Amino acid sequence: MTERLINILLESFPKIFLQGLLVTIPLTVISFAIAMVIAMVCAMIQIANVKGLKQIVRFYIWIIRGTPLLVQLYLIYFGLPDLGIVLPSFPCAIMVFALNEGAYCAETMRGAIESVPKGQLEAGYCVGMSYMQIMRRIILPQALRTAFPPLSNSLISMVKDTSLAANITVVEMFMTAQRIAGRTYEHLALYIEVALIYLIFCTVFTWLQRLGERKLTSVSGGGSIHA
Amino acid sequence: MLEVTGLKKAFGGNKILKGVDVSLQKGDVLCVLGPSGSGKTTMLRCLNYLEKADAGRMRFMENEYDMPGISKKEISAYRRHTAFVFQNFNLFANKTAIQNVTEGLIVARRMSRAEATERAEKALIEVGLEGKFDSRPSQLSGGQQQRVAIARAVAAEPDVIFFDEPTSALDPELIGGVLDVIRGLAENGRTMMIVTHEVNFAHNVATRVIFMDEGRILADAPRREFFGAEQLPRIRSFLNSLERKE
Ligand SMILES: Nc1ncnc2c1ncn2[C@@H]1O[C@H](COP(=O)(O)OP(=O)(O)OP(=O)(O)O)[C@@H](O)[C@H]1O
Ligand SMILES: [Mg+2]
Repeated sequence: MTERLINILLESFPKIFLQGLLVTIPLTVISFAIAMVIAMVCAMIQIANVKGLKQIVRFYIWIIRGTPLLVQLYLIYFGLPDLGIVLPSFPCAIMVFALNEGAYCAETMRGAIESVPKGQLEAGYCVGMSYMQIMRRIILPQALRTAFPPLSNSLISMVKDTSLAANITVVEMFMTAQRIAGRTYEHLALYIEVALIYLIFCTVFTWLQRLGERKLTSVSGGGSIHA
Repeated sequence: MLEVTGLKKAFGGNKILKGVDVSLQKGDVLCVLGPSGSGKTTMLRCLNYLEKADAGRMRFMENEYDMPGISKKEISAYRRHTAFVFQNFNLFANKTAIQNVTEGLIVARRMSRAEATERAEKALIEVGLEGKFDSRPSQLSGGQQQRVAIARAVAAEPDVIFFDEPTSALDPELIGGVLDVIRGLAENGRTMMIVTHEVNFAHNVATRVIFMDEGRILADAPRREFFGAEQLPRIRSFLNSLERKE
């Protein structure tokens, strides 16, 4: 490796890393938090079988899951201005990622809620609790425990998927690396470098996931849920 | 105290209950016998509105309900006086034994935590589970889980407890212990309606026995009479068939 290349890498590393901390991670975390709310609401609407709303939710999930994320990003960022709706790139990215992730996680969450044996709902009714009380205190805590591993996997995927936001001019990690690569012509080195930084972030999230899972099993006292 | 007339229920055109009349007096231990598929579970679920009846009238204490038309409010008022013990226990898997008992008391009956805990401890001791207060359902045997479920039912001091085959999901060696607990409740004068295949238990503990077959009640008699000599051939053959299995 030449001295020039080493210097480029040493100089670019903190830049890309910082852009990760300032853009990639906030983009991921904010989008994911909103996605969780969307997912929870959509899952509950489907479980509780709210007429009308349920069809809307099914439609939304169908659209999102049947179209590429990149197309969704383009549609909102480059397409909507044709209708006079212009959104800045960062909020636009948050919106698209949240809506996209929300649809997938809604299905995860619905599955997790449905995996809690129905008898517990009936037992709750029999001791006088209301549907919402049973949901909040009995069903959802168990469902979230079930959903935690797949949801954390989704979160980790999202760290990487945010690189697509570069396409709509969000200056996140990948875009930063791209620009430096374009300026210095060190494509191979810079893309390896940005890959490594993604790897660092994802490893940290994976580590947090393990921690969370361990905490959840110790709270539940381990063991499986009986039917 | 509880009187139901003309209870009907069909699942998708398949008539399960074809006009059932059943009543309970205070202090009754009513055992419900009958072959598999005769509608025992369905009847019990209708009686606690886990299943909506197609027809039927219910008189309970001073209230009268049209069973298909009962309102949510009336159901929850009614359920304050009843409890249900399921074949599969249906404990709250994310709660400890004692939390399973206190949950309904605190959340639905707005009892203070201290009072609920005191009641729950008493109920768990009554069913022989001192020392298991903080166990999760997954750490308990089937018999222990069912006893938690019984404690959960008893702690609310209901006027009636419904049991749907409380020992059918248990290993043979655990059945006796749970039946003993229910026998203890009977001795304390609890009003109960118990669907069971344990004929000996019915013979020893019931005050009254009803026999269901194909969605109807074929016999409804005090225990002595039911197990006495003058019995319908259909019932005799059912009891004989159970004996042969044992
Ligand atoms: N939710 C349901 N949907 C459709 N059919 C049902 C439903 N619940 C019960 N049935 C049918 O109703 C009939 C009576 O069932 P039920 O569970 O009341 O019988 P049971 O007397 O309790 O029998 P067992 O002794 O086996 O528990 C059965 O044929 C069953 O298939
Ligand atoms: Mg049954």
